[in-house]
Amino acid sequence: MNIAQKITKPSMEGFERAEYDVAGTKTVVYSIGSGDPVVFLHGGATFPGFEFARSWATDRKVIIPHHPGFGESGDDEKINSVHDYVLHYLDLFDQLKLERFDLAGHSFGAWIAAEFAIEHSYRLRKLVLAGPTGLVIKEHPAPDFFKLRAADLPQYLTADPEVALSLFPEGHDVDFLVLSYRETTSLSRVCWDKPQGNRKLGRWLHRVKVPTLLVWGEHDRFCPIAGASAWEELLPDTKLQVIPGAGHLVFEESQAAVEAARRFLAE
Amino acid sequence: MPILPSTEFLVAHYMPYTELPPEEASRESLWVDIPNSLFDPRKGHALYGRYFHEAVLAEKLGFDGICINEHHATASSMMPVPSLIAATIFAQTSKLKVCVMGTPPNMDSPNRLAETYAMLDVMSGGRLEIAIPLGTPMEYWVNPVAPATARKRHREAIDIILKAWTSREATSHDGEFFHYKYLNVWPRPYQDPHPPIFIVGSGSLETVDLAVEYGFGYASTFSPIAKQLQALDYFRKKTTAAGRTVQPNMFPLTVMTYVAETDEQALAEFEAHAKYYFDFLLRPGEFANLPGYIALDELRKRGGHVLPKSHGKFDWNDLQDFYRVAVGSVETVTNKIEKWAEEVGSSRIIFEAHTGDMPHWKLAKNMTLLAEKVVPELKRRRDISQVPAEAAE
Repeated sequence: MNIAQKITKPSMEGFERAEYDVAGTKTVVYSIGSGDPVVFLHGGATFPGFEFARSWATDRKVIIPHHPGFGESGDDEKINSVHDYVLHYLDLFDQLKLERFDLAGHSFGAWIAAEFAIEHSYRLRKLVLAGPTGLVIKEHPAPDFFKLRAADLPQYLTADPEVALSLFPEGHDVDFLVLSYRETTSLSRVCWDKPQGNRKLGRWLHRVKVPTLLVWGEHDRFCPIAGASAWEELLPDTKLQVIPGAGHLVFEESQAAVEAARRFLAE
Repeated sequence: MPILPSTEFLVAHYMPYTELPPEEASRESLWVDIPNSLFDPRKGHALYGRYFHEAVLAEKLGFDGICINEHHATASSMMPVPSLIAATIFAQTSKLKVCVMGTPPNMDSPNRLAETYAMLDVMSGGRLEIAIPLGTPMEYWVNPVAPATARKRHREAIDIILKAWTSREATSHDGEFFHYKYLNVWPRPYQDPHPPIFIVGSGSLETVDLAVEYGFGYASTFSPIAKQLQALDYFRKKTTAAGRTVQPNMFPLTVMTYVAETDEQALAEFEAHAKYYFDFLLRPGEFANLPGYIALDELRKRGGHVLPKSHGKFDWNDLQDFYRVAVGSVETVTNKIEKWAEEVGSSRIIFEAHTGDMPHWKLAKNMTLLAEKVVPELKRRRDISQVPAEAAE
């Protein structure tokens, strides 16, 4: 089921917006709902929005920070590795007084979540990794994101390219072009020269001591599903939920994916 | 006002590979991923021979220098390593200067680049000039440098080169991107303290600032006249604010030039080659869209495009109206050059004499008319205007 809507700027109606100064970097945090907290780390672009979080918010408080260099958060060129993002989030979570919580991430956000879990498992209750990047899988390499042509992007993002297209603005939108250039630049600071991810991630994934759900679109062309078994083998306590008919933007493409994650977090 | 005393005249030659099959005209990009199966090494060999011959001709015709460039994975330039081209030209000439414009220093080992240029300067007896570019977005797809740090790396690399050239004893460098336990250039440059240096820019003020900060010249790329004049104005103001003066040789005037018997004939002989150059050889496709290459406010100014939309598109009227293009009779070209040299106050005039797939005979004709008609006429007008001034003294 397609829950995407024709939006230039994702609708954040009903979300609470707060700004934090995290060691000098403006960090915008959206949240919705009440209950035990679940933090969601977005992927390499903010344009898909966070509609799915409304479903999770029925019984949870969903906390969605924008990464430095993305969306409404400020820029910090010194943040140029996933580890820097982990440290940034340690600072933010301290400010938010989050002691123990659930962590979910999509794509690049899942990479950050995985590295956070490697180092700080004890602060987490559960982990959701949706279409994660970051693990170098020699046998099943992912396409180099930076080399994808703009025109081909929709078919890499969603199984039905129309779904991705519906998330892009119509026509020539300078604001959108500048935002996506800025976000791609921020991403390039981390992985321009290592688009496959962190070569050492596999060495340390055994340290993720919390129950983990992998949510994966059957037709994900960004992170091919063939790579899922490598994550399954390396994570000590994991379950793979394949989403039939979906691509990389699982939560925008499939209510089943949103539900699967919600149920897992509710258990 | 006539041209300035001690004006120097140079030609620029970008040595393109001009033997692409015509059916490739439909390619989206002529850079980065263009298969090298399209490069015929035998034809390339012949072209190198021809181009070196043309460099020698430039010296014989009395030009002061030749400017060469560097681009990667493209048919628009057969000079991914321009220092090799400079070495070859130096070996075949005795007076001609070579301005290498140039290797992006952040893409090389800066110390090795300092060594390469120092060698060229010594081998040529001080005939080397360099212009330092950041490189087009396209270069970053084929070089292992993250574009988001390109400018910082660029600056550090320049510092290393200067340090290596100006220190008379072994020194060292410990920076963000490069670490040298010892920095010690042997041979050191022939010119003292080093060859003339220009920063290459397309008008972005950030780049002008860099030139001012180091006290280098500023060499405009092929960019609209208005943008060049803005850059010049800013360059003058900032240089004055730094307590220095812009010397006439610090802001070269670069003009795409073709001279023939009449304006009509010049245009008829030239236009197809300009079209080949702008429409075909410069077409970057999606590779112009490089993350991290330009500042966001600059991107916004450019309407969300990293390179101006004109890059890779030919529009003859636009070129004639807004760019430094002088195509016409001796009279037409002389008048334009004289006017522009005054406008810029430059004593360094660079003729882009070879364009696109221009054949040898046209280049030879163009350079000969420039050397034997246009330049002497510019000098004659200067000499005439100086006589009364001297007589009056």
